[in-house]
Amino acid sequence: MASRGVTYRTEVWSDWCPGCGDFGIVAAMTKAFQELGLDPANTVVVSGIGCSSKTPHFINMNGVHTIHGRGIAFATGIKLANPRLTVIVNGGDGDMLGIGVAHFVALGRRNIDMTVIIHDNQVYGLTKGQASPTLRRGEKTKSLPAPNIQDAVNPIALAIASGYTFVARGYSLWVDHLKELIKQAIQHKGAAVIDVLQPCVTYNDIYTAEFYKGRLYKLEDDPNWDPVVRDPSEEDEKIARALEKSKEWGNRIPVGVFYVNPLKDTYEDRIAQRNPYYNREAPPAFEEIAGEDGKPIIGPDEFKRLFAGYIVKAKRS
Amino acid sequence: MALSDLNFLVGGAQGSGLETTAQVLAPAFASRGYGVLANREYFSNIVGRHSYIHVRVSSSGEPKGLTYPVQLVGAMDAETIFTHWDDIAPGGYLVYDLGASRTRLIQIASMEPDLKKRLQEEFSKLGIQPTVEGVVKYLEEERKVKLVGLSFTAIFNALVQKYGVTRAQAQRFRSSILIGAITGLTGLDEEAVAFGLERRFAARKRVLEINKELVAAIAEEVRQEYGEPLKLEPSRGGPEEYVIATGNDVVAMAKIVGGIRYQAYYPITPASDESVFIEANESLNVDGKNLGNIVVLQTEDEISAISSVIGAALTGARSSTATSGPGFSLMVEALGWAGKNDVPIVITYYQRGGPSTGLPTRGSQSDLLFSLFASHGEFPRIILSSGDHLEAFYDAIEAYNLAERFQMPVIHLLDKFLANMIASMPMPDLEGVKIERGKTLFKAPRGPWKRFPRDEPLAERPVLGSGAWTWYTGDENDEWGHIDEDPVNRLIMYERRWKKMEIADREIPEDFRAHYYGPKDADFLLVGWGSVKIPALDALKELEGEGLKGAYLHVRMLSPLPKRMLQSILSTFDPDRVIVVEHNYIGQLAKLITMETGFMFKKFILKWTGRPIYVHELVEGVKEALSGRDKVVLSYGK
Repeated sequence: MASRGVTYRTEVWSDWCPGCGDFGIVAAMTKAFQELGLDPANTVVVSGIGCSSKTPHFINMNGVHTIHGRGIAFATGIKLANPRLTVIVNGGDGDMLGIGVAHFVALGRRNIDMTVIIHDNQVYGLTKGQASPTLRRGEKTKSLPAPNIQDAVNPIALAIASGYTFVARGYSLWVDHLKELIKQAIQHKGAAVIDVLQPCVTYNDIYTAEFYKGRLYKLEDDPNWDPVVRDPSEEDEKIARALEKSKEWGNRIPVGVFYVNPLKDTYEDRIAQRNPYYNREAPPAFEEIAGEDGKPIIGPDEFKRLFAGYIVKAKRS
Repeated sequence: MALSDLNFLVGGAQGSGLETTAQVLAPAFASRGYGVLANREYFSNIVGRHSYIHVRVSSSGEPKGLTYPVQLVGAMDAETIFTHWDDIAPGGYLVYDLGASRTRLIQIASMEPDLKKRLQEEFSKLGIQPTVEGVVKYLEEERKVKLVGLSFTAIFNALVQKYGVTRAQAQRFRSSILIGAITGLTGLDEEAVAFGLERRFAARKRVLEINKELVAAIAEEVRQEYGEPLKLEPSRGGPEEYVIATGNDVVAMAKIVGGIRYQAYYPITPASDESVFIEANESLNVDGKNLGNIVVLQTEDEISAISSVIGAALTGARSSTATSGPGFSLMVEALGWAGKNDVPIVITYYQRGGPSTGLPTRGSQSDLLFSLFASHGEFPRIILSSGDHLEAFYDAIEAYNLAERFQMPVIHLLDKFLANMIASMPMPDLEGVKIERGKTLFKAPRGPWKRFPRDEPLAERPVLGSGAWTWYTGDENDEWGHIDEDPVNRLIMYERRWKKMEIADREIPEDFRAHYYGPKDADFLLVGWGSVKIPALDALKELEGEGLKGAYLHVRMLSPLPKRMLQSILSTFDPDRVIVVEHNYIGQLAKLITMETGFMFKKFILKWTGRPIYVHELVEGVKEALSGRDKVVLSYGK
């Protein structure tokens, strides 16, 4: 249902540092919601823990601010119990690729129809700037006592390897560009992820706005770049190209859509293939489980029918 | 003289078809109106280690507590004879494979060295040759045990010849050899056994036919030679219909009746069978009509399981997970989030032996205090624990009602014993079951919603997708669910959560939360929880026969504890005559009751070997405790 006249921002004050990349992400999100006319009653913004995970409080829609790393897991239950809902998960790079990486990978395997937005600033901001899983080896951001000796994970490559069917990278200061990515991600049927590069103005003195300036370029500016799988036979090739592209980092950093595969069944489709009664229009969460009188829908007769194999009549002589 | 109760044990290597004997014989005996309880003991192993099924069949028509010695041991292999030789009652029966006679104890590679060593010492003390022949000879001469020796090889050869099956296939009929012998010795009628076999092999006609013929032939052979020495008297009563199922199955059925719409789990013994059962029933169809649909998700870990269950509960789906200790350990952070946010979730918790991996396939009751205090910070929760299959059925439904009525997590504490025991459960009274959803709203006015009004501990709960929109957070929150660290708000919100517990304590009747079994003027009192109820009630009957008049106080709800009722009952007993009975080391229920009521327990009967408490050892334990011992440690069972 399209929603007119909805203000997508709450009046809750955003307590991010002035200049924080999160502002741009929230601006892009709310603009995207506005343009898609998302219904706040049927949209849920889920998050984990950290600066970025405060996002749901600033958005005038259902908001579920959970625990560290588990945003995707909470969202999975929300979406599968009520597939009618539009579900968007926000979290930091630590949330998604550190403590919650098992859920990040599992979502790709399932291809549940939801959108994941990674606020990727290479540091753990709220705990004062420790290295996150996307900080490269040898780099020493402001509050590290010594250069980082753990290798970074590549979010784009990991997402593709995990099975995500929409994989993109955005930049928090390119709000309009990011907004378009978010719209595409939400409209995509399946698991979508956007890795959003964002400066942490307080703790990351390497990946600053200055750093990104002049290095970022848009994939779509190359007329030959086509990330979309239009036939199953193209899948391997598109994956290989996207993975190759995902390695690019340094003087030139691509943003935009790396890979889209609209042909793969979502998890909801897969359930429905097994159980045709599972559908968006009548979600399990809203099914009647009892009559007006409080008696369960599964009464004595239904019980005996469903579990006949367990019931034994006692013949006593 | 016909028996009123029959106790028997069948043993063999894990993976050799042992479960089949229980799956066939339980419905067979139940179809003649007998109460059945069958426990399965097994190692954490797929194939090869010793496993056994211990069964009690009762003419009372009720499933009764397991006890030793047994009148019959059916041995599929030599290891069973070595392991259980001492479990057979004098004058009892041993059914075994003559082909195993020459097997020596030291040849049993699958036996744990501890047991082997103990047996070697015992055999040498008693002058028993450490071979099957030696043990069997001792049993026959010293214990007057009747030997029913069958040549399994000859039987397999006959199957190969008669039915053209391969040798490997013939081996799979091992369980039917024992079923046949048990049928013959107990005089169970052919129709009843056929019924049991049909239950088990319905889909495979040829296998069913061979099994039927094999069982009938062996039963006849045994009957010819021994008569029907273990014949049961006719059933004296009981329900017209039984549900023959394990605790896992019973809870799954109850969850389906209770309206489950979402279950997430990570595989773990002894909980996963429940989730698999529900998944097999994900679409509830009767007469071509769809009555409901359940999403069952196998997650990447238990953290994901409970997190997704919380998410599903926010949408209004009745949501639960099933797990055991190690899984629950992973769930506790998210549990706190649910507790903080008034989310109705159900955790079905099958306790097994800890700490750590502990005894992964054995039972325990060592997680009571853990489930009560798990997760950092303070938040209210309800903990229910069931004493038998029927209670577990009703409690599994009630758990959802309580979660939604009082808007808090409910932990349904069970144990491996109930999880795996097959019982003849009376058909539950579904007419009496009520679904209560508290203040859940599936339709609410459009707009932002104040989910946590300060003056209403139990506020209306519009679900995600109801029209209203709501916010939830793990942080302390204001009335809207937004972060709020203000100290005055903190005072109010903290108390608001705990007020729900006061309401629950007021509204849930104490006589549901605990039950006193026995005469008002009992001379002593046993206190227990969970599956201790089964042996406790039967032990009391036996003790009464010996002139000891006792009662059993069964605690079904551990939080909120029915403290007024417990206090009033406990205060009428001399503390020297009150004995707590638990499957743990530290007496967790005793500690909890002391904490809540001030009553100091002096007498403990405890067991932590992971095997069930057996009626015979409990009877002895009670006598010891009453005659002065403060702590009796039970350890019977292999």
